[in-house]
Amino acid sequence: MRVLPWLYFVLAFAFIYLPVGTLVLFSFQDGILPVPPFNGPSLRWYSEVAADDDLISALANSLLIATASSAVAVVLGFCAAYGLARHVLPGSVFMRGLLIAPLTVSYLIIGLGLLIVLTRAGLGLSLLTVAIGHVVINLPLAFAIIYASMGAQQQNAERAARDLGAGEAQVVWLVTVPMVLPAIAAAFFLSVTFSWDEFIIAFLLTRFDVTLPVEIWSLLRSGLSPRLNAVGSLVFLVSVTAVILLELFVFRKRRP
Amino acid sequence: MTNGGQSLQGWGFVTPALLWTIAFFVVPFLVMGAMSLATLEGRTLIWGVSLSNYAEIAEKAYIWRAFLVSLEITLTVTVVSVLLAYPLAWIIAFRVPAEWQRLALLLAVLPFWTSYVVRSYAWLLVLAREGMINQAMLGIGLISEPITLANTRFATVTGFVHFFVMLLTLTIYANLIQLSPNYRRAAMDLGASAFQTFRYVILPLTLPGVVTGAFLTFVLCIGDYVTPQILGGNSELTVPQVIMVQLGRRADFPLASALAIALMAIVTLAYIFSARWLRLDRL
Amino acid sequence: MTRLSALFLTTSALSVSASAVLAEGELNALVWCDHTDPALIEPFEAEHNVKVNLREYEGTGAALALLEQSRPGDWDVLVIDGIDVFRAVEANMLAPLDTSALPMDDFFPEVVMEENNTIDGVTYAVTEKFGYNTISYNSEKVDEADMQSLATVWSEKYSGRISIYDYYLPVMGLAAIAGNVATAEIGSGDLPAIGETLSTLRSRSASVAGVVAAQTALATGEVDIVVGGGEWLTAVLAEEQPELTWTIPEEGAVRWAQSIGVVEGSENPDLAMEFIKYIISAEGQARLATSSCFWGMPANAKAGDVLTDMQKDVLRWDSQPDYLALTQLYPAPDADLDIEMQDLWLETLQQ
Repeated sequence: MRVLPWLYFVLAFAFIYLPVGTLVLFSFQDGILPVPPFNGPSLRWYSEVAADDDLISALANSLLIATASSAVAVVLGFCAAYGLARHVLPGSVFMRGLLIAPLTVSYLIIGLGLLIVLTRAGLGLSLLTVAIGHVVINLPLAFAIIYASMGAQQQNAERAARDLGAGEAQVVWLVTVPMVLPAIAAAFFLSVTFSWDEFIIAFLLTRFDVTLPVEIWSLLRSGLSPRLNAVGSLVFLVSVTAVILLELFVFRKRRP
Repeated sequence: MTNGGQSLQGWGFVTPALLWTIAFFVVPFLVMGAMSLATLEGRTLIWGVSLSNYAEIAEKAYIWRAFLVSLEITLTVTVVSVLLAYPLAWIIAFRVPAEWQRLALLLAVLPFWTSYVVRSYAWLLVLAREGMINQAMLGIGLISEPITLANTRFATVTGFVHFFVMLLTLTIYANLIQLSPNYRRAAMDLGASAFQTFRYVILPLTLPGVVTGAFLTFVLCIGDYVTPQILGGNSELTVPQVIMVQLGRRADFPLASALAIALMAIVTLAYIFSARWLRLDRL
Repeated sequence: MTRLSALFLTTSALSVSASAVLAEGELNALVWCDHTDPALIEPFEAEHNVKVNLREYEGTGAALALLEQSRPGDWDVLVIDGIDVFRAVEANMLAPLDTSALPMDDFFPEVVMEENNTIDGVTYAVTEKFGYNTISYNSEKVDEADMQSLATVWSEKYSGRISIYDYYLPVMGLAAIAGNVATAEIGSGDLPAIGETLSTLRSRSASVAGVVAAQTALATGEVDIVVGGGEWLTAVLAEEQPELTWTIPEEGAVRWAQSIGVVEGSENPDLAMEFIKYIISAEGQARLATSSCFWGMPANAKAGDVLTDMQKDVLRWDSQPDYLALTQLYPAPDADLDIEMQDLWLETLQQ
């Protein structure tokens, strides 16, 4: 009975790591086939990836869109959360529902709607249209996370600041923002993660400049090669490094 | 506590987010609704109020069957993911020493930072006839010749379950860890068995978290195009695949819109069904 | 208010980078994936000091819709199925093409395809590449004699070891050929019989697969036969797995051909013409034929001087006269029949 939970634990982690392990292993495959037998290590596919300008610029596009759209989503989400948590507004339940609503709609449907409207509005497809779409999907998350973190304890501090003569902008910037900073950071990083990995909206709303998932998708449609494994492993490596650094230097410090 | 000026200020804070949501979510949605009532003649779009697209969904077997396939896959994935994730979350929350829990969770999440598209493709390699799983099963003599796993519904479900087990483990863990240990102790003191404690104390208390996670799984799974497209081998089409066929090969926006609206209706039904326990604003 | 200005800055930065796309010295082309190979595009960009923007598309219907929704002048070059040139011309999407500047005399005569590229005496496009949708297979796993007839390819013997290429036109063309119906003659009345053949084929196959999925399946032993495959599917695998090969059965097979033309209303017609000249030149043709996305025969026979012997072997350069005689063009349905065919195809997949 004591072994059983641990057995389950180990099996679960084996399941979780199976695809990524295979991916990384066969990114070093010496040969064109990413299946056993493993022919011995080679860096050939990595050098092909590094030499692929389209992939590199797609990676830069993805970074730009992820940070920019997340920044916009977090700013909008924070303002809305502050407005609804601190002010008594008519219809606030409805507004909360409206802001959260995109969370319950499939990305494909959000992308399709935007595609129909934006192309008909004469706004050509570009990275900008993808960024707009990514704000739509990340705004509800940012709002929900930040709204949940706005409790009574900050309200007292804000009131104290106001009593001491601080203007509204000062209160928000010097009191509220620092107090809910962990939630803001969490919302931002979660948004970056979602935007970084989002495929279907980016696929529908881009024209020439594409994001990394879309570029990977066209690789996947255009011929078998362990290059795909190498790209996936690189993305994994970069993301994991970022996550570990964040964990070590940002989130760990915040804990009491 | 509020006055006119303050309420105006409140509107100032809320309005940008509201405008954004209305302009880029509500309006597109309404236009899509109108589009679903339009028709396509040749390549000319004719606006109007016609239910012909919805009739087409009901008439064409490959379309309505796609709804059944999507529902079957999504329900299977949701149930299996919850059943697999709950024990894992439980073990991490109650068996793993407190100082290692964070690390265990981090390790559980790490593999999901590879690109989503590549992750699905990786499953194709794992499940191939000459892939890891078949080789391992052959090696230990479980099977005598490779079995077909890739390009099947099994592969699609596996790819989905892999992702959602991670998501649900996090959600359920967060719920379990919030429970005061006193509940468990009190139940035990009153003579409840481990199972009874789980059934009558822990499960009801974590139900909202489980249902919220399951609902999100449902929404994300039923609307996903990548996983069934890469892993399913086109043996059967899901609704998102049918939508993409309408867009990619025919540019039939009216029919695609009608399909999207119908898909929305299903999600809404799922929402109503689970609304009692849902805590979407408390993710 | 600093945040608002930050928001404004980021959005305007994004729109600047987006509008740079429309700057001068750029060529916007709507293409198939073989044109996205840097080895093909970069020499042209360097020579003319321009940027070529490429967008891939999936089906002719989608490409025409995309062109219709775009502003006039948004697009310069269109690569399109040879059999669909007339649809683009009917929709007024292609500009007349001056072929006097192109080496038309060097073309393989069979693929000039005047009946497709020229309408009412006006030429709108030229063929750039062609190949076959036929049978790819693993010669170590199947009896090669069986691959010489469509009837034995999808017989009971290979049940569960077949993958079908996921494009309705060529596969339905093969089904028509198997039933002795010429691809050019397919009409509504032939669909029930084609559907039956498809149904049999489907019941014996393990998957319906796109390019990479089909390659993966074939290369990993998932399946041993790809119906609808051809040189474009197995050429990239030939080096490491010579046992993966293809043939044209005695009933014949389907021939694909892609054409290239200048989009009506292009703002850079001269540059677009230069691009077409480059693609049709011997060097451009050789690079296009061996593009990383898929291989295929060049329309310009002079490319043979540039291609290596090994590349020509893989392309089966010397067998082309036989193949051309044995194969028929893609079916070219009109809009209504096209939808009927797609429905039948999707219907059959879902069994």
